[in-house]
Amino acid sequence: MSFIRCECVWKIYNEAKPYEVRALEDVSLNIEKDSFVIFTGPSGSGKTTLISIIGCIDRQTRGRVYIDGKDLTDLSDIALSSLRQKRTGFVFQNFNLIQGLPAWENVSMPLIPMGIKENNRKHTAIHLLKRVGLSERHEHSPEEMSGGEQQRVAIARALVNNPDIIILDEPTSNIDVDAVGLLIDILSDLKREGKTILMASHDENMLKNADIIHELKRGRLVK
Amino acid sequence: MILCLVAILFPFISAIAILDGVKSQSRISVDEGANIYVTMDMYGRNGVIPIEMVEPIKKVDGVIKAVPRAIGRIYISGKLSVLLGIPMDELSSVSFIKGTLPKSGEIVIGKGMADALNLNINDSITIGVRIMAIIDDTPYIIKREYRIAGIFDSQSGIWASDLVMMSIDDANSVFETEGFATDIAVYVKPGYEASVSKSLQRINTFFRLQTKGLVKTYFERGFNIKGGIFAALYTLAFALAIPAILVSSGFGMSERRKEIGILKATGWQTHDVLETVLFENMVLAMISAPLSFIISFVWVRLFNGFFIAQFFIAGIESIPSFPVPSKFMPLPFLLSIFFSLVLTMVGSIYSAWRAATVPPAEALR
Repeated sequence: MSFIRCECVWKIYNEAKPYEVRALEDVSLNIEKDSFVIFTGPSGSGKTTLISIIGCIDRQTRGRVYIDGKDLTDLSDIALSSLRQKRTGFVFQNFNLIQGLPAWENVSMPLIPMGIKENNRKHTAIHLLKRVGLSERHEHSPEEMSGGEQQRVAIARALVNNPDIIILDEPTSNIDVDAVGLLIDILSDLKREGKTILMASHDENMLKNADIIHELKRGRLVK
Repeated sequence: MILCLVAILFPFISAIAILDGVKSQSRISVDEGANIYVTMDMYGRNGVIPIEMVEPIKKVDGVIKAVPRAIGRIYISGKLSVLLGIPMDELSSVSFIKGTLPKSGEIVIGKGMADALNLNINDSITIGVRIMAIIDDTPYIIKREYRIAGIFDSQSGIWASDLVMMSIDDANSVFETEGFATDIAVYVKPGYEASVSKSLQRINTFFRLQTKGLVKTYFERGFNIKGGIFAALYTLAFALAIPAILVSSGFGMSERRKEIGILKATGWQTHDVLETVLFENMVLAMISAPLSFIISFVWVRLFNGFFIAQFFIAGIESIPSFPVPSKFMPLPFLLSIFFSLVLTMVGSIYSAWRAATVPPAEALR
């Protein structure tokens, strides 16, 4: 059985209304564990919607999604939050860091509900920031950082709960060339560690490194 | 948010402090005053009483002293004040800042009035101006001039600030009520109030007696009405404040919604988010309430209740000319914490719950 499985997934916004939008139409796919999968396609093709549903931060309108054999379709809000906490790490296109908070607090944010003490949280966060090359900047807030640095903080946050699925949405769209190289290195390391990486991207540099590339067009999986 | 809460709580704490202060001072004044005030019944209301009634009252068993008083409101240089006429020997207990006890044709005034009208010892003021007749377009005016013999300390209480005191004979001349007193203040021995009241009623069935207890009741009733009006106004302000707090606390604000979306996306449960919002609100309330309390304290004690005091003390202006009495009690402080919590909760819990129960992608959109 595949690690991640989508069966006839539809996502429709404003269903049955004149301004209905079909973001995903009948998408079915299988993703194996430890693989690096990229969803590519033009803007508005449904890449972000698909990875959001797999990453448990959005719900499909129809169809079923399984992670490690568990059907996400009817999971409660509590169960989905729990799944996000334990199994997925999400890096948003615009990073979604909390402004005004230092990098280490942004990174350690997912650990707060786990009841981990501040000292331990800070220690873990600094360790992860060191891993992404930002240990010296752990007290800096997002607004004091470049796009590439903010992205690395977001990656560290996605890794802080040691998830087995890392999801990245257009990670190269807001960073410079040097940062892209650093990102590829980080992702290679994560893949070696056995993480399953899902990414929405149309960056050639990223596509070269992917194990599998799925192409979406107008909400349909075409390849 | 904190500023918004302080703006709501500060007038509340200040007003309650002033109200409690005035109430407390009123109680002291009543407690230190006479036991019974005697007037004559005049068609169901208080009428003047002949001064000659003082002597039979003095003879009643249990009476310590009976003091006739002439009291009325007069204008001095356009300023409304209270004129009190009492026997000269009763004035000896007044503490003077300047001058001496008045003789006939002299008055003593409170410091508040002296400051407001820039009056000093030996100045003359006109009281009781009256046009007696107009003959051939010529008005015939009666004017009474009095020399200021002393200025007494108005620190002693809000009632003394705009007070003018003179002998009862002079006061009767001003009011043109010679031979009568507005009332007779009767001081009795402890435990004699009831028996003296009975005896007084026997002297003259037309006597109207107001005991200390009755006066206290009138005071309480007056303050309760003021307090009630204030409570009604405050409730209205409180209700109007809720939408303001809703806006400032993030109702529909995308930034707050986004933050909650981030927390949920990183694995927070809805109850974790609500607990955090609750904690934030408690911190806000714990900051806002003491801050409001401190600002109120400074406003009332240092700025003498500027603007606020006039709503609770009759006949004063926005800048009181005497120290405004105030009493900062724990209950308004606790109430202000409670109000802060209610306001912030109403303003934020629902919006936070709504943001936390939609899929994070929707909250972040």
